[in-house]
Amino acid sequence: MRPLRIGLTLRILGVLVVLGVAVFPLYWMIVTALSSNSDLFAAKARLVPDFSQFGVFIDALAEGKALGWLRNSLVIALGTTVLSIGLGIPLGYALSRFSFWGKAVVTVLLLFTQMLPEALMVVPLFSLFRRFGLLDSLGGLILVNSAFVLPIVALILKGAIDGIPRALEESARVDGARPLTVLTRINVPLIAPSIAATAVIAFFHAWNEYVFAVTFIFTPGKQPASVGIANFIGELGTPIQTVMAVAFMFTLPAVVFYLFAQRHVVAGMTAGAVKG
Amino acid sequence: MELHRVRRSMAVATSLICTAVAFLSGCGSDSESGSGSGGVTTLTFAASTFGDPGRGPLLTKWLDDFNKSQSKVRVSAAAVPYPTFGQTVLTQMGSGQGPDLIRFDMPEFESASDAGLIAPLDDLIDVSKYDLLKQPDQFMVHDGRRDGIIFEASNYAMFYNADLISKPPTTYEEFAKTAQSLTKGDVYGLAFRQTEAEEAGVWQDIFNYVYGFGGKWSDGKNLTINSPENLKGLQAYKDLYDAKVIPRGADAATFRRMFAEGKVGMELNNGGYVTATRGQNPNLNFSVAPIPFPVRSQGAILAPIVINEASPSKEAAATFIRWALEPANQVKLQEILGASSVATVTQRSAEKLKETPFLKVFDDLTESSLPQIVLGFEAKTPDIRKIVVQNVVAALQGTVDLKTALDRAQEQATKLVG
Repeated sequence: MRPLRIGLTLRILGVLVVLGVAVFPLYWMIVTALSSNSDLFAAKARLVPDFSQFGVFIDALAEGKALGWLRNSLVIALGTTVLSIGLGIPLGYALSRFSFWGKAVVTVLLLFTQMLPEALMVVPLFSLFRRFGLLDSLGGLILVNSAFVLPIVALILKGAIDGIPRALEESARVDGARPLTVLTRINVPLIAPSIAATAVIAFFHAWNEYVFAVTFIFTPGKQPASVGIANFIGELGTPIQTVMAVAFMFTLPAVVFYLFAQRHVVAGMTAGAVKG
Repeated sequence: MELHRVRRSMAVATSLICTAVAFLSGCGSDSESGSGSGGVTTLTFAASTFGDPGRGPLLTKWLDDFNKSQSKVRVSAAAVPYPTFGQTVLTQMGSGQGPDLIRFDMPEFESASDAGLIAPLDDLIDVSKYDLLKQPDQFMVHDGRRDGIIFEASNYAMFYNADLISKPPTTYEEFAKTAQSLTKGDVYGLAFRQTEAEEAGVWQDIFNYVYGFGGKWSDGKNLTINSPENLKGLQAYKDLYDAKVIPRGADAATFRRMFAEGKVGMELNNGGYVTATRGQNPNLNFSVAPIPFPVRSQGAILAPIVINEASPSKEAAATFIRWALEPANQVKLQEILGASSVATVTQRSAEKLKETPFLKVFDDLTESSLPQIVLGFEAKTPDIRKIVVQNVVAALQGTVDLKTALDRAQEQATKLVG
């Protein structure tokens, strides 16, 4: 009985330590945002937030700029997620189920695109986007982010589809289902956990993206939060508390999206496990 | 059952996301500016100074003054973050886009000029009408072609906390000794940039040590990166780093905040820092003295305002520059910029001199201040800067000795410029 309790206590402690490490940066952002100027560089660091400084959050939101940045980030991240998953499912399915000439080359090329740094592609893509009138638009950013994240989404989904027994699809075909029906009715529900996982990857990629956003967007009202926060960094000074307040607000929607997607990862994993 | 639940909720979630994206895309696409709508030409003006606490909001008000004075032209601030300002704007300009008006720092100005990205101003602005400051203005003209007008000229001097230092040091030895004696607990005697992440800032900082010890980056025809004078100046910089009298690893934003909070005793900075520091802490008791190095020669921030060659509204952009050059607007701009100079000769008011007595220190340094470019290799300055900073930082970190680092920088930079 005693060894069992010690084991449980150690496990709880372990979980608390991991949780602490994961949550501490968020906590420290709040503490820094809610610190007075003199507390910021005091010999003894302040460990608890000073709620009398809460005005910094109100000031950050007052002009409406921060909310606009968050809205733009949300549009870009959700758009990228929908587009990359919408294209990634058929691509992953084709790579998994069909044999065609050059299939191996396509797979390697998809992997190759993941090795190119974004900075290398800024200038050629800028010229291309200019020609197609995609500069200074959120749609353009959705497109470029989807292009970068699509290969990894497709390859993960291909792996998930590989794991589905072909017999399931054959049974559906015997019942008269067309390939598209097989994909949407049989495969998609079964790979729901993988779709949720890739949605998280796509969302976070687009949410944090900076290089394309800072170069392709000219209108301040269209900038996403990743660029908006950088605007606070001045040549001669940076309002650290404001930066931390906006950065904290910047992390919240991403956390909410992750929690939403995580529910589906778990729900999908258990789907079909018990006969209904 | 469970499978149906997942499918249903997935469908609902997808529909919700699609609706939200469609709705928000509509909201997000509202264009804020455009040229020629309603007979009003809207221009964008990109300047990293818009992000400075203290100066940024005042500059935005200055733009408002222009907009109120005009019926056909409007200027709005383009928000380009300072850390990637040059890279972002040059990429945009290189592809025929970008802001109409840009306030550049000298290295990027030289690169843009060399690449033909800047509209010549000769036919747009008659400079003979204005009493331009000769020393900084000479760097605005390339091969007889005027590429820019000085927006801000700011000499480097030594800022010190007057509560911590009663008498400012007048020699390098006193400077090092003061820094050493002030470094205690959470207070540091000095602060400067020392990481590769702040390449442009490190270049600005080491410029003062190189020129202050009699060195220079070139003789106009050949690079002199590894000259004995440069080695002496950079050794002084490294000695202070090794003495741990600076908050190592702290970036400029952090140590400048520390200076404003009385946690840093001294800093070499330009005149623009006066307003920025007061913006962070109006109660800080600080003063300014010339940099106490053996030779009275230091860097200056020259920041030209230019018109983008790709701008479809060059005449409207010139209207703004002409307005900015009017005497009353120059005085206003100078008051916003702090201890900096502007394009034309201005008189500081008695009230301003009483409020900030050390303004004269900056003005007296104009003749001995130089832009932070490599003379004779102006357009290559950003590339040479990268090489020099990489090698100097390697020496600071102890991976190579300083002399070898400078020899290596000389070799690499010589290969670069041909």
